[in-house]
Amino acid sequence: MLCFDLIRGSIPSSMDRRKSREESTATGASPPQKISATEALIVNLLCVVGLGLAFCVANKGYSFDLVTDPSRTLFFIWIIELPIVILLFSRYRQNRQLCTYLGAVGRGLLGLPLGALLNSLGAIALGAPVTFQYLQKTVQWSLMMSLFTIVPASSVLGFSWTDWRRIFAQTKPNGSVEYLICLPAHGAVIGGWFGAWPMPLDWEKPWQEWPISVSYGAIAGYLVGVVASCGFVLAHGRSKHVKRD
Amino acid sequence: MAESGSVGGRGKWGYIWRHWVTLFLHLLAILLFTRGFLLTRTELPFYSHTSDLSHSPCFSSSSSSSSSSNASSGWTEPAVNRLVIIVLDAIRFDFVAPSTFFPETKAWMNKLEVLKNAASTHPSSAKIFKAIADPPTTSLQRLKGLTTGGLPTFVDVGNSFGAPAIVEDNFINQLVQNGKKVVMMGDDTWTQLFPHHFERSYPYPSFNVKDLHTVDNGCIEHLFPTLYEEDWDVLIAHFLGVDHAGHIFGVDSTPMIEKLEQYNNILERVIEVLENQSGPGSLHENTLLVVMGDHGQTLNGDHGGGSAEEVETAIFAMSFKKPPSFVPPEFDTYSCQMDLNGKNVCISSMQQLDFAVTMSALLGIPFPYGSIGHINPELYALGAGRWNSDASQKLSESDFWMQNYANALCINSWQVKRYLDAYSASSAVGFSHDDISRIASAYAQAENYWSHSTIELLLDRNNGSDTLMPVLKRQINAYFNFLSTVAELARSKWTEFDLNLMGTGTGIMVISLIFQLHAILRANKQHGLTSSSPRGSWITPGTTFALFLLGIRACSFLSNSYILEEGKVANFLLSTSGIVALRQSLIKDKRLIESVGFLFLSTFCRFVIEVGLSKQAATSAFMKDYTSWILNIASALPVWDYAAEVVPMLVLILLAFWLYKVTSRSFCVCPWKYVILGTILSYMLIVVHWITDSERFGVALVPESIGRTYIPRIVYAIALGQMLLMAFGQLFKDNYLDCKSNLVAKASAMLSTWSSTVILLSGKQGPMIAFASLVGGYFLMRLNNGEEDAKEPRRSFSIGPFPVMQWSLFATCLFFCSGHWCAFDGLRYGAAFIGFEEFMLVRQAMLLTIDTFGFSIILPVFGLPLLVATKHQTNVGKHVLFTQLSQMYTIYGFITSIMMTFTILCVTIQRRHLMVWGLFAPKFVFDVFGLILTDVLICLASVYYFGQGKDDPELKSS
Repeated sequence: MLCFDLIRGSIPSSMDRRKSREESTATGASPPQKISATEALIVNLLCVVGLGLAFCVANKGYSFDLVTDPSRTLFFIWIIELPIVILLFSRYRQNRQLCTYLGAVGRGLLGLPLGALLNSLGAIALGAPVTFQYLQKTVQWSLMMSLFTIVPASSVLGFSWTDWRRIFAQTKPNGSVEYLICLPAHGAVIGGWFGAWPMPLDWEKPWQEWPISVSYGAIAGYLVGVVASCGFVLAHGRSKHVKRD
Repeated sequence: MAESGSVGGRGKWGYIWRHWVTLFLHLLAILLFTRGFLLTRTELPFYSHTSDLSHSPCFSSSSSSSSSSNASSGWTEPAVNRLVIIVLDAIRFDFVAPSTFFPETKAWMNKLEVLKNAASTHPSSAKIFKAIADPPTTSLQRLKGLTTGGLPTFVDVGNSFGAPAIVEDNFINQLVQNGKKVVMMGDDTWTQLFPHHFERSYPYPSFNVKDLHTVDNGCIEHLFPTLYEEDWDVLIAHFLGVDHAGHIFGVDSTPMIEKLEQYNNILERVIEVLENQSGPGSLHENTLLVVMGDHGQTLNGDHGGGSAEEVETAIFAMSFKKPPSFVPPEFDTYSCQMDLNGKNVCISSMQQLDFAVTMSALLGIPFPYGSIGHINPELYALGAGRWNSDASQKLSESDFWMQNYANALCINSWQVKRYLDAYSASSAVGFSHDDISRIASAYAQAENYWSHSTIELLLDRNNGSDTLMPVLKRQINAYFNFLSTVAELARSKWTEFDLNLMGTGTGIMVISLIFQLHAILRANKQHGLTSSSPRGSWITPGTTFALFLLGIRACSFLSNSYILEEGKVANFLLSTSGIVALRQSLIKDKRLIESVGFLFLSTFCRFVIEVGLSKQAATSAFMKDYTSWILNIASALPVWDYAAEVVPMLVLILLAFWLYKVTSRSFCVCPWKYVILGTILSYMLIVVHWITDSERFGVALVPESIGRTYIPRIVYAIALGQMLLMAFGQLFKDNYLDCKSNLVAKASAMLSTWSSTVILLSGKQGPMIAFASLVGGYFLMRLNNGEEDAKEPRRSFSIGPFPVMQWSLFATCLFFCSGHWCAFDGLRYGAAFIGFEEFMLVRQAMLLTIDTFGFSIILPVFGLPLLVATKHQTNVGKHVLFTQLSQMYTIYGFITSIMMTFTILCVTIQRRHLMVWGLFAPKFVFDVFGLILTDVLICLASVYYFGQGKDDPELKSS
């Protein structure tokens, strides 16, 4: 069921990589431009609405929130965001000739656990607790982070290492879809990083526990990233417009 | 142009002199600041004895009157037989005093009604005092102050370093020495301070602030039965509920009011019990009840500082002697107000300093040696009823009491003078000459009155009240004058920060920062001149990020929570820098393995730091309920134990093997090669030492005594020998090495020399941490090296501060990894005695310093040249290399000084904070040591590394 790209990506060779890069520059250059500013805004809006919906369900339906029951709230967030993000971003997949819509969805689903692993490793390197009582929370948190960071990118970019590097290491997004991937992801990570700051303070507030403040930070950063990406997409579209004129 | 010329002209001193200037500035700044901030007092090991009184000009209790009491017991005549002290922790003055004394009535006032009622209905036998405590107003320091009658400071230099037990002479000690039996219940701080003094004790843990009731209920449970028992003379009950309620809920809260109401009930019952038993011949015939706070608290429940809310607490004293005694009106300092019920309540004022001596005088025991308070007349008067029965006197009760009081003050003044003389004679930092002469003249005046006029009048019993009173008053005033001079002087010396000195110190620190920054930028400009690259290229993302990290780390010192978790904060920043480095290498698509490896290493450090913190939790009160799963695993598996013995040795052998490989490579030549070979020998000796030390192996390779003491000494001796060899190696100029390889060889030799001693002192964890630092250092060098390749060679002449910042963060993490933390119980005292049995201050202090700062300062500072030398693939010439090295040392020093400056600012801002003595001051002391050591080592390292020949062909060719 998975697309050809996946099979090829699992046994990458330098030849292949170069080929895919050429392809992505040749064929992948056009798809990003297809998405209009309004469409980008709608995608962002849907993601944010999903996030709000998750909080609403947790709060109204089950009457708990991030502070009282972090792991279940995080679970709601990622389970509600998951279809939204994957289904939306798979529409903007690169290399349309090589990869079907379902293939992109599959890549996104594969990206979820991998991204979660990456995020949790990062968090542990920075000092997240690893005791058994925090295991569930860490897992849920990293799944949420994965949805903010890795999943959209894996749906869109697939296995194109150069694009990954360009967006996440060099921060040089190209085209409006890549702005939608890059900025919220960076926002979530940086926000989470700042969110860890109040944890050592002796205020003895319940939200200072791992992963509550970090989740708040990450969500806040994500929202900032979303807003920024909207701004960039608008500005980008306008400048494109000017150029085209 | 002129600058580079001057550097070339002065040779190696051109690189070095700035470091020396920095060292000098720092020493000056620290010296001034410390003199203003760290108040020190020397504890004297002397004790008062009953027989001492014969040296005084005063009457002893036996000769002053013909009273029937047995005269052998003490200095003054006992006025009360039994004493009940109820300490209510953190009682504010307005908890006790009626609300009419204050402009506004608040919810927490008028709760301890029973004390107020007693004071208003029995004005002659019950009294409320406003008691003024002296900062630091923390329970431990206050209890110490209350019992010794002195002014405890942060650094009470004495032989109790590390243990909290009071070794100075004190009230409790005097009680025990004079055969009084003391029963204690409540706060376990008392049993820490007086481990062997109590007849019986019922201590309860005091550090769980959230627990409002355990200590109080325990107190109540034992207090009432004990009141009916006969086997004690002094009872101490210490209630903690109000203190904890304040810390958690604040003063204006329901739990606080409930606590106060509970105390009101308890006190009511206590007074009832005592009153019922106070008939002639009963148990409490002559008992004094004292209800007191040890300090106050702010509305938020904080205490520790010197604000009025914190220092103002209350003492309530009630005598159950019947009939009530007479109060001499001359010394009353009270103010009276109507309370809400229209009764007259009078409140006097006293210093907590006077508590120990007044109680001693009432019980008739010798005054504590170091007490500097005076006998409070009103509190002392509560016991005056004792002398009413003396019928042989012509004098009125009041006159007789005055006479007695004058004599007690005479003893008191003599004792204080004796203490001050002994203190000035034995303390390194005594009082100034002016102060001593001022005190001496005040004492001489009082003494003069006493020996020339008063004593004759007192001896001549035929004098009437008219002749006696004026003389006595004059005498008492003279003593008051002397004693208040002393107290004032002592306060200025032991409780007040000198803000001017602190400010000056901070100012000089800032000047040194500017100086260092100037030096760094200047070196940069030189690079610009020599490599003709455009100026301003130095401001790169790396620099910005390094400054950002530095800023966060420095600002984190402003909060006590971050200081407590400093290891984790440092590791967080180290990991962050690792992630940024990973990103950097992703961009360039090289050195990926190194950056991932570095990230894993910092993750590893993180776990080690957590194990270290759990060790801290075992001793530190702050983190008692922190349990570590790692320790649980470690204790569960016996295999773990065995591995813990064997793995360090294997790692050490691995290190030795690695060193051997290094020496066999080409760049190591004559002197350096032998140095490293010596280190390999040391490593082998350490392995042998550990094998003989552990019981597990049971192989007696060498007799145990030799293994235990001589092998470490041989290792130290080898290290010293290596040092000498390197010093001599400096003298021979070797031409067959280029400058860069020479620098690498020198650095490796230096590091290996230190490593053997550091590993030996660190114990079993040593090899692992040495290995980790080696790997970490290697990764950092490689990463830095990678950075250079990507840039154009021209721009790479100056090294950005990012690698140095990483280097410094990594060093900080190693400090915490090696099981240290910034508190005095974080020192590994055991390390000071490896190889030596007996204590010698200088030697042991050096070993302790090497152990504490070995991995975090000594090795990183000496290893810094490797970062410079490995950066360049090609030989870049001596001048460039040395300028860079000098700049890097300046950057490293700059980072350390920024930390120090912020620590200084922090302790200045937080000098009245609750944690100032528990947390900020130890951190300050550690940072001071770290800074000075870093500066000194940088100076030494620069002398060592820059001591190369003058010729510089590479520079000319470039």
